[in-house]
Amino acid sequence: VKFVRSLLVGGAAAITILLAGCDQVATGMVLSLVGELQGEVLLTSADGMGSPDGLLWHDGQLLIADEGGNAVLAWIPGRSLRTLADRSSGISSPEALAIGADGAVYWSDDTAGGVWRLDTAGHVSSYLDPRLASSTEGLAAMPNGPLVVGTNDHRLLEVRGPNRLLLRARLRKPESLAFDEFGNLFVADDEDDALYLLTKEGRLRRLADHHPGFSPESISYAGGGVFYITDSRHSKLFRYSEMDGLEPIARFGGDLANVQGITTDDRGRIYLSFQTGRRHRKGYIVRLTPEGYGAREAATGT
Amino acid sequence: LVGLNDSLYLALNDFSGRSWFLDAAISLAMDNPLVKAGPIAACFAFCWFAQGSTEERERRRRILLATLASLAILLFANRTLQKEVFLPRPFILSQPVQMLEGNRLIARPPLHYNVPLAGEMKSRFEQMRHGDIPDNFLRSFPSDHAAFFTALALGIFLACRTAGVIALLWTAVVVLLSRMVSGMHSPADIAVGAAIGAFGLFLMQFLAARQLRLIADSGARLTLRYEGHAAAVLSLVLVEVVGTLDNTKKLMGSIIDVLESVF
Repeated sequence: VKFVRSLLVGGAAAITILLAGCDQVATGMVLSLVGELQGEVLLTSADGMGSPDGLLWHDGQLLIADEGGNAVLAWIPGRSLRTLADRSSGISSPEALAIGADGAVYWSDDTAGGVWRLDTAGHVSSYLDPRLASSTEGLAAMPNGPLVVGTNDHRLLEVRGPNRLLLRARLRKPESLAFDEFGNLFVADDEDDALYLLTKEGRLRRLADHHPGFSPESISYAGGGVFYITDSRHSKLFRYSEMDGLEPIARFGGDLANVQGITTDDRGRIYLSFQTGRRHRKGYIVRLTPEGYGAREAATGT
Repeated sequence: LVGLNDSLYLALNDFSGRSWFLDAAISLAMDNPLVKAGPIAACFAFCWFAQGSTEERERRRRILLATLASLAILLFANRTLQKEVFLPRPFILSQPVQMLEGNRLIARPPLHYNVPLAGEMKSRFEQMRHGDIPDNFLRSFPSDHAAFFTALALGIFLACRTAGVIALLWTAVVVLLSRMVSGMHSPADIAVGAAIGAFGLFLMQFLAARQLRLIADSGARLTLRYEGHAAAVLSLVLVEVVGTLDNTKKLMGSIIDVLESVF
Protein backbone atom coordinates (compact mmCIF):
# COMPACT_ATOMS: atom_id res chain seq x y z
CA VAL A 1 0.00 0.00 0.00
CA LYS A 2 2.85 2.34 0.91
CA PHE A 3 4.56 1.61 -2.42
CA VAL A 4 1.37 2.27 -4.42
CA ARG A 5 0.74 5.41 -2.39
CA SER A 6 4.25 6.76 -3.03
CA LEU A 7 4.02 5.87 -6.71
CA LEU A 8 0.72 7.66 -7.19
CA VAL A 9 1.65 10.74 -5.20
CA GLY A 10 4.98 10.93 -7.06
CA GLY A 11 3.15 10.53 -10.38
CA ALA A 12 0.71 13.30 -9.52
CA ALA A 13 3.56 15.61 -8.54
CA ALA A 14 5.51 14.81 -11.76
CA ILE A 15 2.47 15.46 -13.95
CA THR A 16 1.72 18.72 -12.13
CA ILE A 17 5.31 19.88 -12.73
CA LEU A 18 5.05 18.89 -16.40
CA LEU A 19 1.79 20.77 -16.80
CA ALA A 20 3.19 23.85 -15.10
CA GLY A 21 6.16 23.70 -17.47
CA CYS A 22 4.00 23.78 -20.60
CA ASP A 23 4.38 27.27 -22.06
CA GLN A 24 1.96 26.79 -24.95
CA VAL A 25 -1.48 25.63 -23.96
CA ALA A 26 -4.33 25.73 -26.46
CA THR A 27 -7.24 27.98 -25.51
CA GLY A 28 -9.57 27.50 -28.46
CA MET A 29 -10.15 25.72 -31.75
CA VAL A 30 -11.56 25.84 -35.25
CA LEU A 31 -12.93 22.46 -36.35
CA SER A 32 -13.57 22.14 -40.09
CA LEU A 33 -16.68 20.08 -40.82
CA VAL A 34 -16.59 20.28 -44.63
CA GLY A 35 -13.23 20.26 -46.40
CA GLU A 36 -10.49 22.15 -44.64
CA LEU A 37 -10.65 25.80 -43.62
CA GLN A 38 -7.31 27.50 -43.09
CA GLY A 39 -7.61 29.89 -40.18
CA GLU A 40 -5.46 32.87 -39.34
CA VAL A 41 -5.76 35.25 -36.38
CA LEU A 42 -5.64 38.77 -37.82
CA LEU A 43 -6.37 40.93 -34.80
CA THR A 44 -6.68 40.52 -31.04
CA SER A 45 -7.45 42.79 -28.12
CA ALA A 46 -3.71 43.47 -27.89
CA ASP A 47 -4.03 45.38 -31.19
CA GLY A 48 -6.30 47.96 -29.56
CA MET A 49 -9.69 46.35 -30.11
CA GLY A 50 -12.32 45.47 -27.45
CA SER A 51 -14.98 42.85 -28.16
CA PRO A 52 -15.81 42.97 -31.88
CA ASP A 53 -19.28 42.30 -33.24
CA GLY A 54 -20.33 43.31 -36.78
CA LEU A 55 -17.79 43.17 -39.59
CA LEU A 56 -17.86 44.54 -43.12
CA TRP A 57 -15.24 44.13 -45.81
CA HIS A 58 -15.31 47.17 -48.05
CA ASP A 59 -12.87 48.50 -50.59
CA GLY A 60 -9.80 46.64 -49.29
CA GLN A 61 -10.41 47.39 -45.63
CA LEU A 62 -12.17 45.64 -42.79
CA LEU A 63 -14.67 47.74 -40.84
CA ILE A 64 -15.26 46.55 -37.28
CA ALA A 65 -18.18 47.36 -34.98
CA ASP A 66 -16.33 47.10 -31.66
CA GLU A 67 -19.25 46.47 -29.34
CA GLY A 68 -17.15 46.02 -26.20
CA GLY A 69 -14.75 48.85 -27.08
CA ASN A 70 -17.62 51.27 -27.92
CA ALA A 71 -16.05 52.24 -31.23
CA VAL A 72 -16.12 51.71 -34.97
CA LEU A 73 -12.69 50.70 -36.27
CA ALA A 74 -11.06 50.21 -39.67
CA TRP A 75 -8.21 47.88 -40.51
CA ILE A 76 -6.19 47.61 -43.68
CA PRO A 77 -4.05 44.42 -43.88
CA GLY A 78 -0.50 45.18 -42.83
CA ARG A 79 -1.44 48.37 -41.00
CA SER A 80 -2.61 49.14 -37.48
CA LEU A 81 -6.22 49.70 -36.42
CA ARG A 82 -7.80 53.10 -36.99
CA THR A 83 -10.68 54.48 -34.91
CA LEU A 84 -13.44 55.96 -37.09
CA ALA A 85 -15.86 56.79 -34.28
CA ASP A 86 -16.01 56.32 -30.53
CA ARG A 87 -18.00 57.33 -27.44
CA SER A 88 -17.22 61.00 -28.00
CA SER A 89 -19.61 60.84 -31.00
CA GLY A 90 -22.46 59.55 -28.81
CA ILE A 91 -22.33 55.90 -29.87
CA SER A 92 -22.32 53.08 -27.33
CA SER A 93 -22.41 49.48 -28.60
CA PRO A 94 -22.09 49.41 -32.40
CA GLU A 95 -23.68 46.25 -33.73
CA ALA A 96 -23.90 45.95 -37.53
CA LEU A 97 -22.33 47.90 -40.40
CA ALA A 98 -23.38 48.86 -43.91
CA ILE A 99 -22.12 51.04 -46.74
CA GLY A 100 -24.78 53.33 -48.15
CA ALA A 101 -25.31 54.27 -51.78
CA ASP A 102 -23.60 57.61 -50.91
CA GLY A 103 -20.40 55.77 -49.83
CA ALA A 104 -20.91 56.66 -46.16
CA VAL A 105 -20.49 54.06 -43.38
CA TYR A 106 -23.66 53.38 -41.36
CA TRP A 107 -24.05 51.33 -38.21
CA SER A 108 -26.72 50.24 -35.74
CA ASP A 109 -26.31 50.43 -31.97
CA ASP A 110 -28.13 48.08 -29.64
CA THR A 111 -27.55 50.23 -26.56
CA ALA A 112 -27.73 53.83 -27.83
CA GLY A 113 -30.22 52.89 -30.57
CA GLY A 114 -30.80 54.63 -33.90
CA VAL A 115 -28.59 54.45 -36.98
CA TRP A 116 -25.32 56.36 -37.17
CA ARG A 117 -23.53 57.74 -40.20
CA LEU A 118 -19.88 58.46 -40.93
CA ASP A 119 -19.56 60.52 -44.10
CA THR A 120 -16.60 60.37 -46.45
CA ALA A 121 -15.15 63.47 -44.78
CA GLY A 122 -15.00 61.59 -41.43
CA HIS A 123 -17.91 63.39 -39.73
CA VAL A 124 -20.16 61.28 -37.47
CA SER A 125 -23.87 62.10 -37.16
CA SER A 126 -27.17 60.50 -36.16
CA TYR A 127 -29.02 59.31 -39.26
CA LEU A 128 -31.97 57.72 -37.50
CA ASP A 129 -32.95 59.29 -34.19
CA PRO A 130 -32.67 56.74 -31.31
CA ARG A 131 -36.15 57.85 -30.17
CA LEU A 132 -37.55 56.24 -33.33
CA ALA A 133 -35.67 52.96 -32.75
CA SER A 134 -34.30 52.64 -29.23
CA SER A 135 -32.25 49.48 -29.81
CA THR A 136 -31.14 48.54 -33.31
CA GLU A 137 -29.65 45.23 -34.47
CA GLY A 138 -29.24 44.09 -38.09
CA LEU A 139 -28.42 46.62 -40.79
CA ALA A 140 -27.99 46.32 -44.55
CA ALA A 141 -28.03 48.60 -47.55
CA MET A 142 -30.07 47.70 -50.62
CA PRO A 143 -27.96 47.62 -53.77
CA ASN A 144 -28.00 51.32 -54.76
CA GLY A 145 -30.92 51.87 -52.44
CA PRO A 146 -31.93 52.80 -48.91
CA LEU A 147 -30.95 51.10 -45.66
CA VAL A 148 -32.93 48.44 -43.84
CA VAL A 149 -32.59 48.08 -40.06
CA GLY A 150 -33.90 45.52 -37.57
CA THR A 151 -34.95 46.62 -34.11
CA ASN A 152 -35.22 44.89 -30.77
CA ASP A 153 -38.95 45.74 -30.69
CA HIS A 154 -39.55 43.28 -33.54
CA ARG A 155 -39.60 45.69 -36.49
CA LEU A 156 -37.84 45.57 -39.83
CA LEU A 157 -37.65 49.16 -41.03
CA GLU A 158 -36.65 50.74 -44.28
CA VAL A 159 -34.77 53.98 -43.66
CA ARG A 160 -35.59 56.12 -46.70
CA GLY A 161 -33.66 59.17 -45.48
CA PRO A 162 -32.75 60.87 -42.21
CA ASN A 163 -35.52 59.86 -39.75
CA ARG A 164 -37.82 58.73 -42.58
CA LEU A 165 -39.10 55.22 -41.92
CA LEU A 166 -41.24 52.58 -43.55
CA LEU A 167 -42.24 49.35 -41.80
CA ARG A 168 -41.24 46.41 -44.03
CA ALA A 169 -42.08 43.47 -41.73
CA ARG A 170 -42.53 42.34 -38.14
CA LEU A 171 -40.14 39.64 -36.89
CA ARG A 172 -39.16 38.48 -33.42
CA LYS A 173 -35.54 39.66 -33.57
CA PRO A 174 -34.01 40.70 -36.90
CA GLU A 175 -30.45 40.28 -35.58
CA SER A 176 -28.61 40.42 -38.89
CA LEU A 177 -29.49 41.33 -42.49
CA ALA A 178 -27.94 40.76 -45.92
CA PHE A 179 -29.05 41.53 -49.46
CA ASP A 180 -28.26 39.44 -52.50
CA GLU A 181 -27.48 41.09 -55.83
CA PHE A 182 -31.17 40.91 -56.86
CA GLY A 183 -32.39 42.97 -53.92
CA ASN A 184 -33.80 40.05 -51.92
CA LEU A 185 -33.28 40.52 -48.19
CA PHE A 186 -32.16 37.62 -45.97
CA VAL A 187 -32.87 38.05 -42.26
CA ALA A 188 -31.23 36.09 -39.43
CA ASP A 189 -33.60 35.91 -36.45
CA ASP A 190 -31.79 34.53 -33.39
CA GLU A 191 -34.88 34.44 -31.17
CA ASP A 192 -37.02 32.60 -33.69
CA ASP A 193 -34.00 30.44 -34.68
CA ALA A 194 -34.91 30.98 -38.31
CA LEU A 195 -33.64 32.44 -41.54
CA TYR A 196 -36.16 34.58 -43.43
CA LEU A 197 -36.27 35.78 -47.01
CA LEU A 198 -38.04 39.02 -47.77
CA THR A 199 -38.28 39.09 -51.54
CA LYS A 200 -37.92 42.22 -53.62
CA GLU A 201 -41.69 42.07 -54.11
CA GLY A 202 -42.22 42.11 -50.33
CA ARG A 203 -43.15 38.44 -49.74
CA LEU A 204 -41.80 36.95 -46.48
CA ARG A 205 -40.67 33.28 -46.42
CA ARG A 206 -39.05 31.12 -43.75
CA LEU A 207 -36.05 29.33 -45.22
CA ALA A 208 -34.25 27.32 -42.54
CA ASP A 209 -37.20 26.55 -40.33
CA HIS A 210 -36.68 24.87 -36.95
CA HIS A 211 -33.40 23.38 -38.10
CA PRO A 212 -31.98 21.60 -35.03
CA GLY A 213 -28.81 23.23 -33.67
CA PHE A 214 -29.32 26.47 -35.63
CA SER A 215 -29.70 29.93 -34.17
CA PRO A 216 -28.39 32.53 -36.63
CA GLU A 217 -26.40 35.43 -35.21
CA SER A 218 -24.92 37.12 -38.25
CA ILE A 219 -25.26 36.68 -42.02
CA SER A 220 -23.11 37.69 -44.97
CA TYR A 221 -23.67 37.32 -48.71
CA ALA A 222 -20.64 35.91 -50.52
CA GLY A 223 -22.05 36.09 -54.06
CA GLY A 224 -23.23 33.31 -56.36
CA GLY A 225 -26.26 32.61 -54.18
CA VAL A 226 -24.08 31.60 -51.20
CA PHE A 227 -24.53 33.01 -47.69
CA TYR A 228 -22.37 32.43 -44.63
CA ILE A 229 -24.10 32.50 -41.26
CA THR A 230 -22.62 32.49 -37.75
CA ASP A 231 -24.36 30.89 -34.78
CA SER A 232 -23.04 32.08 -31.43
CA ARG A 233 -25.35 29.82 -29.39
CA HIS A 234 -24.03 26.64 -31.00
CA SER A 235 -20.56 28.04 -31.89
CA LYS A 236 -20.98 27.14 -35.56
CA LEU A 237 -20.48 28.57 -39.02
CA PHE A 238 -23.05 27.62 -41.66
CA ARG A 239 -23.14 27.91 -45.42
CA TYR A 240 -26.53 28.43 -47.05
CA SER A 241 -27.57 28.29 -50.68
CA GLU A 242 -30.97 27.60 -52.20
CA MET A 243 -29.58 24.51 -53.92
CA ASP A 244 -27.69 22.92 -50.99
CA GLY A 245 -29.73 24.29 -48.10
CA LEU A 246 -28.16 24.87 -44.72
CA GLU A 247 -24.87 23.12 -44.03
CA PRO A 248 -22.58 23.48 -40.98
CA ILE A 249 -19.00 24.02 -42.14
CA ALA A 250 -17.14 24.79 -38.91
CA ARG A 251 -17.46 24.41 -35.15
CA PHE A 252 -15.58 26.69 -32.79
CA GLY A 253 -14.57 26.09 -29.18
CA GLY A 254 -12.85 27.59 -26.15
CA ASP A 255 -11.93 31.26 -26.56
CA LEU A 256 -13.45 31.14 -30.05
CA ALA A 257 -16.81 29.70 -28.94
CA ASN A 258 -18.68 33.01 -29.04
CA VAL A 259 -18.61 33.71 -32.78
CA GLN A 260 -20.33 36.96 -33.70
CA GLY A 261 -19.93 38.98 -36.89
CA ILE A 262 -19.09 37.79 -40.39
CA THR A 263 -18.12 39.24 -43.74
CA THR A 264 -16.42 37.99 -46.87
CA ASP A 265 -13.91 39.71 -49.11
CA ASP A 266 -13.96 39.81 -52.89
CA ARG A 267 -11.74 36.68 -52.96
CA GLY A 268 -14.21 34.55 -51.00
CA ARG A 269 -12.28 34.55 -47.74
CA ILE A 270 -14.36 34.66 -44.56
CA TYR A 271 -13.72 37.14 -41.73
CA LEU A 272 -15.17 36.36 -38.32
CA SER A 273 -15.28 38.21 -35.02
CA PHE A 274 -15.17 36.43 -31.66
CA GLN A 275 -15.99 37.83 -28.26
CA THR A 276 -14.04 36.15 -25.47
CA GLY A 277 -15.45 38.33 -22.71
CA ARG A 278 -17.25 41.57 -23.35
CA ARG A 279 -16.79 42.70 -19.79
CA HIS A 280 -13.04 42.17 -20.09
CA ARG A 281 -12.94 43.71 -23.59
CA LYS A 282 -11.36 40.68 -25.22
CA GLY A 283 -11.84 39.32 -28.67
CA TYR A 284 -10.36 38.04 -31.91
CA ILE A 285 -10.74 38.65 -35.63
CA VAL A 286 -10.03 35.47 -37.61
CA ARG A 287 -9.87 34.94 -41.35
CA LEU A 288 -10.87 31.54 -42.76
CA THR A 289 -9.73 30.54 -46.20
CA PRO A 290 -11.77 27.71 -47.71
CA GLU A 291 -9.97 24.64 -49.08
CA GLY A 292 -8.79 24.97 -52.66
CA TYR A 293 -8.52 28.74 -52.36
CA GLY A 294 -4.93 28.79 -53.65
CA ALA A 295 -5.78 26.59 -56.65
CA ARG A 296 -8.79 28.73 -57.51
CA GLU A 297 -6.71 31.89 -57.21
CA ALA A 298 -4.04 30.44 -59.50
CA ALA A 299 -6.63 29.31 -62.05
CA THR A 300 -8.31 32.70 -62.19
CA GLY A 301 -5.01 34.55 -62.08
CA THR A 302 -6.19 36.86 -59.29
CA LEU B 1 5.16 13.01 -23.94
CA VAL B 2 2.53 14.08 -26.51
CA GLY B 3 3.93 11.51 -28.98
CA LEU B 4 3.80 8.76 -26.36
CA ASN B 5 0.24 9.69 -25.47
CA ASP B 6 -0.85 9.63 -29.13
CA SER B 7 0.89 6.28 -29.77
CA LEU B 8 -0.74 4.66 -26.74
CA TYR B 9 -4.13 6.03 -27.73
CA LEU B 10 -3.76 4.76 -31.32
CA ALA B 11 -2.76 1.30 -30.08
CA LEU B 12 -5.83 1.12 -27.82
CA ASN B 13 -8.26 2.58 -30.37
CA ASP B 14 -7.08 -0.07 -32.80
CA PHE B 15 -9.43 -2.50 -31.01
CA SER B 16 -12.41 -0.31 -31.94
CA GLY B 17 -14.39 -0.80 -35.16
CA ARG B 18 -13.34 -4.46 -35.58
CA SER B 19 -16.09 -6.40 -33.87
CA TRP B 20 -19.73 -5.45 -33.38
CA PHE B 21 -19.85 -7.45 -30.12
CA LEU B 22 -16.72 -5.84 -28.67
CA ASP B 23 -17.94 -2.34 -29.60
CA ALA B 24 -21.38 -3.06 -28.12
CA ALA B 25 -19.74 -4.33 -24.90
CA ILE B 26 -17.52 -1.24 -24.70
CA SER B 27 -20.58 0.95 -25.23
CA LEU B 28 -22.36 -0.87 -22.42
CA ALA B 29 -19.39 -0.32 -20.10
CA MET B 30 -19.34 3.39 -20.97
CA ASP B 31 -22.97 4.37 -21.11
CA ASN B 32 -24.90 1.97 -18.91
CA PRO B 33 -24.59 3.22 -15.30
CA LEU B 34 -25.48 -0.19 -13.89
CA VAL B 35 -22.67 -1.94 -15.78
CA LYS B 36 -20.21 0.93 -15.38
CA ALA B 37 -20.61 1.75 -11.71
CA GLY B 38 -22.98 -0.84 -10.26
CA PRO B 39 -20.29 -3.38 -9.23
CA ILE B 40 -18.16 -0.65 -7.64
CA ALA B 41 -21.14 0.62 -5.66
CA ALA B 42 -21.83 -2.98 -4.62
CA CYS B 43 -18.21 -3.35 -3.41
CA PHE B 44 -18.61 -0.12 -1.45
CA ALA B 45 -21.86 -1.36 0.16
CA PHE B 46 -20.25 -4.75 0.96
CA CYS B 47 -17.36 -3.01 2.66
CA TRP B 48 -19.71 -0.70 4.56
CA PHE B 49 -21.87 -3.48 5.96
CA ALA B 50 -19.23 -6.28 6.26
CA GLN B 51 -19.04 -8.07 9.60
CA GLY B 52 -16.12 -7.67 12.00
CA SER B 53 -15.13 -6.33 15.40
CA THR B 54 -16.45 -2.89 16.39
CA GLU B 55 -12.97 -1.38 15.98
CA GLU B 56 -12.58 -2.90 12.54
CA ARG B 57 -16.02 -1.72 11.39
CA GLU B 58 -15.28 1.75 12.79
CA ARG B 59 -11.97 1.85 10.91
CA ARG B 60 -13.70 0.85 7.65
CA ARG B 61 -16.44 3.41 8.10
CA ARG B 62 -13.87 6.15 8.77
CA ILE B 63 -12.00 5.29 5.56
CA LEU B 64 -15.19 5.07 3.49
CA LEU B 65 -16.55 8.36 4.84
CA ALA B 66 -13.23 10.07 4.03
CA THR B 67 -13.41 8.49 0.54
CA LEU B 68 -16.86 9.98 -0.07
CA ALA B 69 -15.67 13.37 1.18
CA SER B 70 -12.68 13.21 -1.18
CA LEU B 71 -15.03 12.74 -4.20
CA ALA B 72 -16.56 16.18 -3.72
CA ILE B 73 -13.11 17.78 -3.48
CA LEU B 74 -11.92 15.89 -6.56
CA LEU B 75 -14.91 17.04 -8.52
CA PHE B 76 -14.07 20.65 -7.74
CA ALA B 77 -10.32 20.20 -8.47
CA ASN B 78 -11.01 18.47 -11.79
CA ARG B 79 -13.53 21.07 -12.93
CA THR B 80 -11.07 23.86 -12.10
CA LEU B 81 -8.31 22.19 -14.12
CA GLN B 82 -10.70 21.46 -17.02
CA LYS B 83 -11.57 25.16 -17.22
CA GLU B 84 -7.86 25.95 -17.64
CA VAL B 85 -6.91 23.29 -20.19
CA PHE B 86 -8.61 23.22 -23.58
CA LEU B 87 -8.23 19.73 -25.01
CA PRO B 88 -10.98 18.10 -27.09
CA ARG B 89 -11.68 14.39 -26.87
CA PRO B 90 -9.48 12.23 -29.15
CA PHE B 91 -12.33 11.29 -31.52
CA ILE B 92 -12.91 15.00 -32.19
CA LEU B 93 -9.24 15.44 -33.01
CA SER B 94 -9.69 12.97 -35.86
CA GLN B 95 -11.16 15.90 -37.87
CA PRO B 96 -9.19 18.82 -39.35
CA VAL B 97 -8.64 21.03 -36.29
CA GLN B 98 -6.69 24.20 -35.76
CA MET B 99 -5.86 25.01 -32.16
CA LEU B 100 -5.60 28.57 -30.86
CA GLU B 101 -2.23 28.87 -29.13
CA GLY B 102 -1.49 32.40 -27.97
CA ASN B 103 -2.45 34.54 -30.94
CA ARG B 104 -1.93 31.88 -33.59
CA LEU B 105 -4.05 29.12 -35.06
CA ILE B 106 -1.92 25.99 -35.39
CA ALA B 107 -3.09 23.08 -37.55
CA ARG B 108 -3.07 19.80 -35.61
CA PRO B 109 -2.42 16.66 -37.66
CA PRO B 110 -5.65 14.61 -37.48
CA LEU B 111 -5.51 11.60 -35.14
CA HIS B 112 -6.58 8.37 -36.77
CA TYR B 113 -9.89 7.16 -35.34
CA ASN B 114 -11.58 3.79 -35.74
CA VAL B 115 -15.30 4.49 -35.53
CA PRO B 116 -17.10 1.87 -33.39
CA LEU B 117 -19.58 -0.36 -35.19
CA ALA B 118 -22.19 -0.04 -32.44
CA GLY B 119 -23.24 2.02 -29.45
CA GLU B 120 -23.42 5.62 -28.38
CA MET B 121 -19.91 6.48 -29.61
CA LYS B 122 -20.98 5.79 -33.18
CA SER B 123 -23.82 8.32 -32.84
CA ARG B 124 -21.57 10.79 -31.01
CA PHE B 125 -19.12 10.60 -33.92
CA GLU B 126 -21.90 11.25 -36.45
CA GLN B 127 -23.23 14.17 -34.41
CA MET B 128 -19.71 15.58 -34.15
CA ARG B 129 -19.40 15.60 -37.94
CA HIS B 130 -22.40 17.95 -38.01
CA GLY B 131 -20.81 20.16 -35.38
CA ASP B 132 -23.14 18.99 -32.61
CA ILE B 133 -20.56 18.74 -29.86
CA PRO B 134 -21.43 19.22 -26.17
CA ASP B 135 -19.08 21.75 -24.53
CA ASN B 136 -17.69 19.19 -22.07
CA PHE B 137 -16.42 17.17 -25.07
CA LEU B 138 -13.97 20.01 -25.71
CA ARG B 139 -12.42 19.85 -22.24
CA SER B 140 -11.55 16.23 -21.63
CA PHE B 141 -8.40 16.80 -19.58
CA PRO B 142 -8.24 15.44 -16.95
CA SER B 143 -10.82 12.66 -16.97
CA ASP B 144 -13.59 13.03 -14.36
CA HIS B 145 -14.26 9.29 -14.52
CA ALA B 146 -10.61 8.44 -13.87
CA ALA B 147 -10.36 10.75 -10.85
CA PHE B 148 -13.72 9.69 -9.44
CA PHE B 149 -13.51 5.92 -9.82
CA THR B 150 -9.81 5.66 -8.93
CA ALA B 151 -10.46 7.47 -5.66
CA LEU B 152 -13.53 5.36 -4.96
CA ALA B 153 -11.85 2.03 -5.74
CA LEU B 154 -8.68 2.91 -3.81
CA GLY B 155 -10.82 3.95 -0.84
CA ILE B 156 -12.61 0.59 -0.93
CA PHE B 157 -9.22 -1.14 -1.21
CA LEU B 158 -7.91 0.65 1.89
CA ALA B 159 -11.00 -0.45 3.83
CA CYS B 160 -11.44 -4.03 2.49
CA ARG B 161 -8.78 -5.81 0.47
CA THR B 162 -10.94 -8.31 -1.49
CA ALA B 163 -13.72 -5.87 -2.40
CA GLY B 164 -11.05 -3.28 -3.15
CA VAL B 165 -9.20 -5.51 -5.63
CA ILE B 166 -12.48 -6.18 -7.48
CA ALA B 167 -13.31 -2.46 -7.52
CA LEU B 168 -9.81 -1.54 -8.74
CA LEU B 169 -9.89 -4.15 -11.51
CA TRP B 170 -13.39 -3.09 -12.59
CA THR B 171 -12.28 0.55 -12.61
CA ALA B 172 -9.17 -0.18 -14.68
CA VAL B 173 -10.65 -2.59 -17.20
CA VAL B 174 -14.32 -1.66 -17.54
CA VAL B 175 -14.48 2.03 -16.67
CA LEU B 176 -11.15 3.43 -17.85
CA LEU B 177 -9.93 1.12 -20.60
CA SER B 178 -13.27 1.35 -22.43
CA ARG B 179 -13.00 5.16 -22.47
CA MET B 180 -9.57 5.02 -24.10
CA VAL B 181 -10.46 2.34 -26.64
CA SER B 182 -13.58 4.25 -27.70
CA GLY B 183 -11.73 7.56 -28.13
CA MET B 184 -13.53 9.40 -25.34
CA HIS B 185 -10.26 9.97 -23.49
CA SER B 186 -6.57 9.84 -24.25
CA PRO B 187 -4.20 7.94 -21.92
CA ALA B 188 -2.95 11.33 -20.62
CA ASP B 189 -6.50 12.35 -19.62
CA ILE B 190 -6.89 9.06 -17.77
CA ALA B 191 -3.42 9.03 -16.18
CA VAL B 192 -3.68 12.58 -14.85
CA GLY B 193 -7.29 12.03 -13.75
CA ALA B 194 -6.29 8.86 -11.89
CA ALA B 195 -3.29 10.62 -10.30
CA ILE B 196 -5.54 13.45 -9.12
CA GLY B 197 -8.01 10.88 -7.78
CA ALA B 198 -5.30 9.03 -5.90
CA PHE B 199 -3.74 12.23 -4.58
CA GLY B 200 -7.10 13.60 -3.40
CA LEU B 201 -8.01 10.33 -1.74
CA PHE B 202 -4.72 9.95 0.15
CA LEU B 203 -4.81 13.58 1.19
CA MET B 204 -8.28 13.11 2.66
CA GLN B 205 -7.29 9.80 4.32
CA PHE B 206 -4.22 11.49 5.78
CA LEU B 207 -6.36 14.29 7.22
CA ALA B 208 -8.98 11.83 8.49
CA ALA B 209 -6.27 9.85 10.29
CA ARG B 210 -4.62 12.91 11.85
CA GLN B 211 -5.95 16.48 11.86
CA LEU B 212 -9.58 15.51 11.34
CA ARG B 213 -9.42 12.26 13.32
CA LEU B 214 -11.90 13.46 15.93
CA ILE B 215 -14.52 14.38 13.31
CA ALA B 216 -13.90 11.21 11.24
CA ASP B 217 -14.15 8.94 14.30
CA SER B 218 -17.31 10.66 15.49
CA GLY B 219 -18.85 10.26 12.03
CA ALA B 220 -17.92 6.58 11.90
CA ARG B 221 -19.36 5.92 15.38
CA LEU B 222 -22.57 7.75 14.49
CA THR B 223 -23.07 5.55 11.42
CA LEU B 224 -22.70 2.47 13.65
CA ARG B 225 -25.03 3.78 16.34
CA TYR B 226 -27.70 4.90 13.85
CA GLU B 227 -27.30 2.06 11.36
CA GLY B 228 -30.77 2.49 9.81
CA HIS B 229 -30.39 6.21 9.18
CA ALA B 230 -26.86 5.72 7.86
CA ALA B 231 -28.06 2.98 5.47
CA ALA B 232 -30.81 5.29 4.15
CA VAL B 233 -28.35 8.10 3.44
CA LEU B 234 -25.81 5.66 2.00
CA SER B 235 -28.40 4.31 -0.48
CA LEU B 236 -28.95 7.87 -1.78
CA VAL B 237 -25.20 8.45 -2.00
CA LEU B 238 -24.67 5.21 -3.91
CA VAL B 239 -27.42 6.09 -6.38
CA GLU B 240 -25.53 9.31 -7.07
CA VAL B 241 -22.23 7.38 -7.25
CA VAL B 242 -23.72 5.04 -9.88
CA GLY B 243 -24.71 8.14 -11.86
CA THR B 244 -21.11 9.45 -11.47
CA LEU B 245 -22.39 12.43 -9.47
CA ASP B 246 -24.10 13.81 -12.59
CA ASN B 247 -26.72 15.69 -10.61
CA THR B 248 -24.11 17.01 -8.20
CA LYS B 249 -21.96 18.16 -11.14
CA LYS B 250 -24.90 20.06 -12.64
CA LEU B 251 -25.55 21.70 -9.31
CA MET B 252 -21.87 22.63 -8.90
CA GLY B 253 -21.75 23.95 -12.47
CA SER B 254 -24.73 26.20 -11.83
CA ILE B 255 -23.17 27.50 -8.59
CA ILE B 256 -19.84 28.20 -10.35
CA ASP B 257 -21.64 30.00 -13.21
CA VAL B 258 -23.55 32.16 -10.74
CA LEU B 259 -20.36 32.98 -8.81
CA GLU B 260 -18.50 33.80 -12.05
CA SER B 261 -21.27 36.12 -13.21
CA VAL B 262 -21.21 37.91 -9.84
CA PHE B 263 -17.41 38.25 -9.52
